[in-house]
Amino acid sequence: MAAPHEDWGWATEYEDVSGAVAVCGVGESDHSKASGRTANQVVAQAVERALDDAGLAPADIDGLMYVPFGYQFDAAAFHEHFGTSHDIWESKAGGGMRWAASAPYEAALALRDKRATHILNSFGVAWATERSQMVGGPGESHAQELFKQNLEVPFGWFPQPVYFATVARRHMHEFGTTEDQLGAVAVACRRHANLTPGAVMHDRPLTLEQYRQSRLIVAPFRREDCCLISDGGGAYIMTTPERARDLGPPVVEVAGVGLGNSVTGTHWAEQPAFTSTPQVFAAPVAFQMAGLTPADVDVYTCYDPFTIHTVMQIEDSGFCEKGGGGEFVAGDALQFDVGRLPTNTHGGLLSHAYVLGIAHVVEVVRQLRGEAAAQVRDARVGIYGGYTGPQAATLILRRP
Amino acid sequence: MRPDFPLPDTTWEPTAEFWAGAARHELRIPFCARCGRGCWYPRERCRSCGGAEFEWRTMSGRGTLFSWVVVTHAFLPHFGDLVPFVPALIALDEDPAVRLATRVVDTDPDQLAFDLPMEVTFRPITFAGVDGSVTAPLFTPA
Ligand SMILES: [Zn+2]
Repeated sequence: MAAPHEDWGWATEYEDVSGAVAVCGVGESDHSKASGRTANQVVAQAVERALDDAGLAPADIDGLMYVPFGYQFDAAAFHEHFGTSHDIWESKAGGGMRWAASAPYEAALALRDKRATHILNSFGVAWATERSQMVGGPGESHAQELFKQNLEVPFGWFPQPVYFATVARRHMHEFGTTEDQLGAVAVACRRHANLTPGAVMHDRPLTLEQYRQSRLIVAPFRREDCCLISDGGGAYIMTTPERARDLGPPVVEVAGVGLGNSVTGTHWAEQPAFTSTPQVFAAPVAFQMAGLTPADVDVYTCYDPFTIHTVMQIEDSGFCEKGGGGEFVAGDALQFDVGRLPTNTHGGLLSHAYVLGIAHVVEVVRQLRGEAAAQVRDARVGIYGGYTGPQAATLILRRP
Repeated sequence: MRPDFPLPDTTWEPTAEFWAGAARHELRIPFCARCGRGCWYPRERCRSCGGAEFEWRTMSGRGTLFSWVVVTHAFLPHFGDLVPFVPALIALDEDPAVRLATRVVDTDPDQLAFDLPMEVTFRPITFAGVDGSVTAPLFTPA
């Protein structure tokens, strides 16, 4: 493992679940800027579409996973929406961010223990609609944290764009990463969004020259280095590969999962490996479980709140040496048709929608089925790198 | 949220000594009594050795510039009067593993560079629409 400071985190012990769970249905809501919708409406629409995709009825879903915070599409909400009343196993180890990558691990254990047969993981936000005058969705929870309130916010080192622009500038210093390399990430995502009908930035092209000309909001970050704020959500349904083969969609199974943790949590000033993510701990576990290496990956997605996160996670997942990420992503390297590592092929959090990673998993599944808008030719192995800051998880999916 | 947000709550126990020190124009940081390392942010246990006893020491106020940004968009309405401003992380001379989040003042951002020697200056900080002020450790090039 190529971690420069291995004392700052660890990998969670995972049993081998390779080949034990498949994704048999995926769905997304409409994604938008402020729309007046509620998180419940957003998630319910995504869930309906995932059920349609799998060819399952609401009564077939006997397992629900959702996020440990925020809006939860739990059994009560499910029954209320669909008018059902059957027993449902529930887990708060689901949702978006890193959980959208690690939920299949928990689902594999639940399937093995016969706690459920069809498990639905869902996540959605209406943050564009709810955005408060004061902070807005992503900053809100950080503003409540007392160390941040007393040691970061008074100095204006807040919120996320400020922390991660600080990380990006340090990455530039340590490794020679350039603004144009960050721009290449933004441009690749935008090109993919332009090809993806449901992407919020579908109709807004972006060239590297336009990126260079755009306004700095927290130097070295420009507006285009930062994710959107959106209303939207997604859902995916998991079952055993045996049962998945009896359903309509082509089978996509989980090859490997890993979860990494940082001891310093959301206090990035404290993180010894300032320019790394806990993906350095997660990715080796997932690749080992899958019996695969980064060279086997056809399509890559990762939680990309800022351009620098794509650069860091590509490094931390082993696609290149630590520090080589800027050079690796330069030019058209991340583009779906000509790139060496097609990345965030739906547009990512930067240009598709800020739905916290759930749509990344939907995209990987579509890529492996051959159903994506910006389709990577003959994609057989795909990854979602999930991230929360304190944790990161790697989910490796494959077409068996 | 406290009505004086985003001023710090100088009475919150884990960081009260930091802010009390700042009011006296002293930069106060806890060090582990067992292994001698700086422990920032303050925690119940030392991250290096697990020790649970700490001694707050007065720093020289010198350090080096670890990283910085130039904020030109007010992410909070309270920051409206401040922009553009320069949040930064300073690695303290007494233990460079201690990175203090702070703000660089009185300096053209174009003059900043990695590892530039910096020194503390204590200034009252205030925010638009918030009563009162708190003396805070800000930094300038040494
Ligand atoms: Zn110690």
